[in-house]
Amino acid sequence: MTAASEEIVVSHLTKHYRQLRAVDNLSFTVRPGRVTGFLGPNGAGKTTTLRMMLGLVRPTSGTATFSGVAYTDLDQPIRHVGAVLEASSAHKGRSGINHLRVICASAGLPRQAADEALARVGLSPAAKRKFKGYSLGMKQRLGIAAALLGDPRVLILDEPANGLDPEGIRWMRDLLKSLAAEGRTVLVSSHLLGEMQQLADDVVIIAAGQLIRQGPVEEVLGSMSGVSHVRVRTPKPAELSAALAAEQATVATLPDEALMVTGLDAARIGHIAFTAGIELHELTGERADLEQVFLQLTAGKAGIR
Amino acid sequence: MNLVRAELLKIRTTSTWWVFGLIALPLWALTLLVNWVSANATLNLDPAEAGLDADQAEQVRVASESVNVASNLYTSGQFFGVLVVMLLAAIVVTNEFFHQTATTTFLVTPRRESVIVAKLVASVLLGLVFWLITTVLNLVLVPFILNALDVGVQLGEPAVWRAVGLNALAYALWAVLGVGAGVLIRSQLGATITLSTVYVIGYLGAATIFALLTPRIGDWFGKLQVLVPPLASQLMISGTELPGNPPRWVGALVLVGYAAVAGLLGTWLTKKRDIT
Repeated sequence: MTAASEEIVVSHLTKHYRQLRAVDNLSFTVRPGRVTGFLGPNGAGKTTTLRMMLGLVRPTSGTATFSGVAYTDLDQPIRHVGAVLEASSAHKGRSGINHLRVICASAGLPRQAADEALARVGLSPAAKRKFKGYSLGMKQRLGIAAALLGDPRVLILDEPANGLDPEGIRWMRDLLKSLAAEGRTVLVSSHLLGEMQQLADDVVIIAAGQLIRQGPVEEVLGSMSGVSHVRVRTPKPAELSAALAAEQATVATLPDEALMVTGLDAARIGHIAFTAGIELHELTGERADLEQVFLQLTAGKAGIR
Repeated sequence: MNLVRAELLKIRTTSTWWVFGLIALPLWALTLLVNWVSANATLNLDPAEAGLDADQAEQVRVASESVNVASNLYTSGQFFGVLVVMLLAAIVVTNEFFHQTATTTFLVTPRRESVIVAKLVASVLLGLVFWLITTVLNLVLVPFILNALDVGVQLGEPAVWRAVGLNALAYALWAVLGVGAGVLIRSQLGATITLSTVYVIGYLGAATIFALLTPRIGDWFGKLQVLVPPLASQLMISGTELPGNPPRWVGALVLVGYAAVAGLLGTWLTKKRDIT
């Protein structure tokens, strides 16, 4: 497979449920070798979109393709695309290893694939324990093991961080990054924005079933650079304020006596202070974070429709 | 083939099958006992003394022929056996929704009709295992009962073996019915309760209704009994043709019809539905 062929292309995907347009003419692409965050408020249509991409929900119109092929037309799909859709998707009375062996049997994969996948997610010690005895984090790991069984080039995860403790979230982040670094295509849906900012290279933001913005995280954040601030502390606030104001910057005084400068970047502020001979004690760029951007972009498109 | 193996593995890796097996065993013993008692009664009944009309007397006479008594005993356990098999087959489907494994199953195999076909095959195999076990138990124990009744073991009679064979077909067809019902009623509890109730109440209710109405409406109405699935499968295992009853193949045909409708409707629905 060539790199280009591992792209996911979603084209004009639409799903209507009676009156509700759950997903409305949604188009985006997901590139290989990167982690793409699929963001939106609850009820935005993320899960419906993922399920349509995977042939579980029939779209009203539109298509989603992997290597140019619809999921349902893939030969042995789990060798191409691995998906983790919900944490509680194993029979409660079946052991973790047997859950994976059933999938291996269905897909014609060798039995050892189950042991290897379980080892990869660190679940080997609990292999023979029944699913009902698993913690939420262990269930998520089992779901990921199932997705990795066929060694797929594409991974799709719906809210994988749900229910994970900080250590689990870190493990998940490292795993997904390493999978992307191997050249795989990774699409992760989430409403946990802080986590996504640390994990994703690209983001696709939707609200009310429609695309709001897509692109590299930096670019999406950059588009909001007008609201980024720099925090400055100096023993001579009045003089610095005057010097900065002369450069068209807006300066506000914060309750702790620090200055909040808008309109100039940190390097420029440092240079102005240096030239004016003003001592600085702190110079911190406070970029708009994904959460602010997200709230701003999706404002007024509430999740409840 | 992979899918059938996977379905059998799904069945084997949970405890449902042996729990149901343990339930089926005492029920089999119960039906064997009931059949023994009724065989005893039939053999000792003198039609001339019981004040029956000519048709009924003829029915009793044929039913008390050794070969028919034997056929009935060698197929003991069918009444509850096929019920248990049908419930297990329904659970093979409803499990997928109850435990939300349908998502994984259909991700691995997006051609959903193949999954349903695999479930049908696996359930039929499971049904045949239940048939095999009850049949072996019957073959071991029934000769003693027949000896006690002063009827020969009858294992040389082709009619007995035909009844045993048609009994296997009944188990297989009830498994297919179960899968179809499981697709129609996706709730685990709902399917189990509905099927058991309809099976038992339906059987008793239908038998009562036909017994009450046939004398008023006419013999043709009584022959419609065979349309009631449990009555159809009982007809299949009678040793020889019973007077006043439709031929055995009609019973088989009725069950095949129900199974085909349930299986096809189930497959079509599964293909069409969204999995959420």
